[in-house]
Amino acid sequence: MREVALTVTVNGEQISRPVEARRTLADFLRDDLSLTGTHLGCEHGVCGACTVLLDGDAVRSCLMFAVQADGAEVTTIEGLSEGGLTPIQAAFQAEHGLQCGYCTPGFVVSAHAFLAEHPDPSDEEIREALSGNLCRCTGYQGIIAAVKRAASNGSSL
Amino acid sequence: MTAGRFMGQAIARSEDPRLLAGRGRYIADVVVPGASDAAFLRSEVARGRIVSLDVEAARSAPGVRAVYTAADLNPLVHETAVAGLPEGPFPPKYCLAENDVRFVGDPIAIVIAENRYLAEDAVELIDVDIEPQEPVLDVDAARNGDGALVHPEIGTNTPQVIPFFGDPDLEQAFADAAHVVKDTIVMHRYVQAPMECRGIIADCDPYSDELTVWSGTQSVYGVQSLIAGLLGIGTNQIRVVQPDVGGGFGQKMAIMRDEWAVVLAAKLLGRPVRWIEDRRENLTAAAHARDERIDLSIALDGDGGITAIQGEFIENIGAYQTMGSSGMGAFIAPFLTNAYKIPKVGFASQAVYTNTCGKAPYRGPFLMYAVGIEQLMDAAARQLGVDPLELRRRNVIRADDLPYTLPSMLCFESITPAETLDQAALMIDYDGFRADQRAALEQGRYLGVGISLCVEPSGIAVGSMATEAAEIRMDYTGKVTVAVGSSSTGMSVVTTMKQVVAEHLGCVPDDVNVIQGDTAATPWGAGTGGSRSAVLIGNAVAAASTELRSKLLEIAADALEAAAEDLEIDNSRVFVRGTATKGMSFADVGQLAYHSPDMLSPGTAPGLEASHRFKAPPFTFSNACHICTCEVDIETGRVSILRYVVSEDCGRMINPKVVEGQVFGGVVQGIGGVLYEHMVYDDDGNPLTSTFVDYLLPTAAEVPTIEVGHIESPAPNPLGVKGMGEGGAIASPAAVINAVADALAPLGVRISGSPLGPRQILDMIAAASGQRA
Amino acid sequence: MKPAAFDYHCPDELAGAITILQEYGDEAKVLAGGQSLIPLLSLRLSRFDHLVDLRAIEDLRGVSAVDGSIRIGAMTTQAHVARNENAAAVPLLARATSHIGHYQIRNRGTVGGSLAHADPAAEYPAVAMALDASLEVAGPNGTRRISAANFFMSTWATAMDPDEVLVAAHFPVWSGSTGWAVDEVARRVGDFAMCGAVCGIQLDGQRVNRAALALFGVGSVPVRARGVEATLTGATVDDLDLPAIGADVAATLDPPGDLHASGEQRRKMAKTLVPRVLTAAIDEAKHA
Repeated sequence: MREVALTVTVNGEQISRPVEARRTLADFLRDDLSLTGTHLGCEHGVCGACTVLLDGDAVRSCLMFAVQADGAEVTTIEGLSEGGLTPIQAAFQAEHGLQCGYCTPGFVVSAHAFLAEHPDPSDEEIREALSGNLCRCTGYQGIIAAVKRAASNGSSL
Repeated sequence: MTAGRFMGQAIARSEDPRLLAGRGRYIADVVVPGASDAAFLRSEVARGRIVSLDVEAARSAPGVRAVYTAADLNPLVHETAVAGLPEGPFPPKYCLAENDVRFVGDPIAIVIAENRYLAEDAVELIDVDIEPQEPVLDVDAARNGDGALVHPEIGTNTPQVIPFFGDPDLEQAFADAAHVVKDTIVMHRYVQAPMECRGIIADCDPYSDELTVWSGTQSVYGVQSLIAGLLGIGTNQIRVVQPDVGGGFGQKMAIMRDEWAVVLAAKLLGRPVRWIEDRRENLTAAAHARDERIDLSIALDGDGGITAIQGEFIENIGAYQTMGSSGMGAFIAPFLTNAYKIPKVGFASQAVYTNTCGKAPYRGPFLMYAVGIEQLMDAAARQLGVDPLELRRRNVIRADDLPYTLPSMLCFESITPAETLDQAALMIDYDGFRADQRAALEQGRYLGVGISLCVEPSGIAVGSMATEAAEIRMDYTGKVTVAVGSSSTGMSVVTTMKQVVAEHLGCVPDDVNVIQGDTAATPWGAGTGGSRSAVLIGNAVAAASTELRSKLLEIAADALEAAAEDLEIDNSRVFVRGTATKGMSFADVGQLAYHSPDMLSPGTAPGLEASHRFKAPPFTFSNACHICTCEVDIETGRVSILRYVVSEDCGRMINPKVVEGQVFGGVVQGIGGVLYEHMVYDDDGNPLTSTFVDYLLPTAAEVPTIEVGHIESPAPNPLGVKGMGEGGAIASPAAVINAVADALAPLGVRISGSPLGPRQILDMIAAASGQRA
Repeated sequence: MKPAAFDYHCPDELAGAITILQEYGDEAKVLAGGQSLIPLLSLRLSRFDHLVDLRAIEDLRGVSAVDGSIRIGAMTTQAHVARNENAAAVPLLARATSHIGHYQIRNRGTVGGSLAHADPAAEYPAVAMALDASLEVAGPNGTRRISAANFFMSTWATAMDPDEVLVAAHFPVWSGSTGWAVDEVARRVGDFAMCGAVCGIQLDGQRVNRAALALFGVGSVPVRARGVEATLTGATVDDLDLPAIGADVAATLDPPGDLHASGEQRRKMAKTLVPRVLTAAIDEAKHA
């Protein structure tokens, strides 16, 4: 079948609709659900701008077909930000961890997932954890500082 | 320099909350009802003749609305120049490839369909037959006339040639020199690679007086100008809107042939057309950068004083290069002496076409002026047996030397390279490092330190880039709006301009709204690039704010029955100096200015609007010193950057965190460029590094903590600012290269540029030890 | 950069998957985590008319101890195997996993997918080779076991038939005083290895009782250094000349070259890596 029935919960809302099997999760979120906070930087799984949470785990939404998320819970940057900026996002702002902002949602989502599992990371662990997301503007300095700040404030969400 | 209330403060950016929450609206997020998506058929051959092209199958593919080729679009083209940009001969004005293809990625046909998936399906149905021809790939073969012409219509492969010119006593200076140090310094090919690829939406509604284009650009007016020429219509019939842009770095300064095709297609189709570039296109078919070399020699006297410098610069500009890339020679020649007192200069250059992706500017496109001499300094130091820091100290321009007139007749009035050299050396504990280095060498470990100085010609204000304007108004509620002509692609124009307004007007940044990136709503501007924002936009905003302030005071003086000189402003309130109660809010003033002009004295004009177009000198010189330490693993060829310090002087800083952010980004692009990023073509002209799997950008794990020290010297403009957008990128390559060269010098390795990936490093080590690699 | 269209199948039983593969042959491809396959599809470097998603087949999940080995269901994610208590009995698995890409990839990438994809620079195939793992494969004619040595045929090519599915991998558990190490030379954290090594050492006092060493990124399949293992076995730890052993291993290799490193350079990297991993594994075994 080229088109498949999909039921997926996105940011707490259950969505049921048919979707073309080849449509990536990233395109489904952006174009079908108008959740454009998830960005496409490479579409081949390297840059991390498309990172979302799938059942709580950080994944590259360009490396999934929407149909593979059937029955799962997806959280995008919009979902994370629903109640206002999270402490992690506030840390990014405080440390000037963004300039053009294109890579930022991917970093924020990745940082949320990372700090949830590693609330007290070393500097090296932070750098390694962030190595799956690319940034061209900040030289990573503000981003690393933001994650450190968020970790030391003890607030991962 | 003491910070003001807002100027010089590292306030948080107002851009951030929406971007953090994923509410940014980039070109791919803009929804234009009824828009179709485009995809291109591109050449897979570097050079060849198009024998046949059949798009009929594509035209009838599912969801396809149109397929256009050169036959459809090229005749519609009127002009393809950008007004006001000085240029050498342009490449021929072919929108789509007409009879032949000139690089892998050359656009041949555009498919317009319901969505990108269907457009790409249809592209595969296009039947094109290209007869491959021998591509011109070698710069020397190209410029020496061996082989074909990349652009036969131009008649030459060297569209820009600066024949040798120089000081009449140059030859003598070299003949008399105690030492001559020469080398050919190479910078390999890289790509700007902003995180967001290019994108454009064109809506050429035949029933509307105005066509609207959304463009992920660094210059809305550049886009407007090009489209006006393309379609042969008035600029006032074109509205260009810039959404949020995910970085540009020069690649988005001008729209390119594929983007022109989108506009022309939208015109033909009569419905909006959208094209969002994908990463493979961005890496192979948008624009490339660097890929240049300089044959450089310096003459030194017995004390290590440099008496003369001579260089021949050859750059590979590919095919169909973008505006602003027809030859950097003219920009390098004046600055060849960098931060040093060198009285005699000689220079020549050539820009050379090849059958590869064409160049566009990339952060500090003229950086070879620094990258060359900084490497030669270290080579000279080794040759003379002098420490490279010491050799630089002997030659650097000092405060006593100012104002210093260069051989090119440009004048440095206020720069601090010597001070930054000292500050950077202190920050890195240079002597301490040399001791560590010696100890490490005894244990068989190879540590190195690299210095790189640069005087940056920032605030580029040459030709049509000479001015920027700001239009400011306070409305009837006292709120302030300022519109500026050139707009941010990440460099924090909004926050920094709010700070400038707040400082000069007496309000708080949150009371200011900055409008940018819309030709319908802003004054004309040349675009963000050339480290212009602080100098040009900043001063325009400051001047307009100051003018607004005096109008505000005039009206308030009227109402408060006081003299304007006796009034002060603080926190959006005007009051008589020395009294707390005799005052009025901005809102009160606004009300008066617009809603009750009859209450104003006869000589007092109503309204609160001001504007200023600021003209800057051609260059505003800033400067920096970078020092980098590294360790090279000689078994694996891996380079680890240990520490990286920058001492920078960009005059008065509007926002120190913004300045540092610019430096950080530029430094990491330099580290990335030297150690990781390498755009490679094979012998047939096929790009081998066409995705991020092979074109490697540095990540957080590859970069050290970058430490920045600030020096603030006066700047020759009212705001006292200088630019620093490119300095990080200009000085960094040589700092990294010099560090690696310093580490490997004990092995007899001599380095003459980049790339310095493991392959190159291991090759050099093996060659130096006489083994076969 | 969008994939070409395909028919999507999501069987909930293994037999169903095999039937589809049988029917469509070359035109069908199994979809596991998708971390290697989907980029190829998006770049249109590969295409298939049919994708068979294995995610609904429960039989392919689970980590259990079976007959002195740890059995890893093919659809077990890399992230899961790295933190699974049972899998901890094969320490090389967790250590190799930390070198694979980034955690976002490991959350989706599967052990089976990595083994079946058989990339010459991948870590799990080398672990499988080093430990003489056994691959459990199911097809129309039933289930069979293939030893790791016979499984990896060439770059991206295994001994599985087109209508077979990798069901699980069995990794033998070592007892006693053991030490393990994985190391690789890559351009950046998470990149494909230019050269990598995995090893295991079992000590009996100061004597090496057992040694396993495999290299990856140095040929079309992982290379098991059996000759050197023979040298190590029975030797006294402190008598070992590890640099010489590294040189011996390197001498047997004829790696391919590419943009990142030449064949000779990869050989030199092996010469450096082998002593590093042996040292680390021996140290761990000494303190075990």
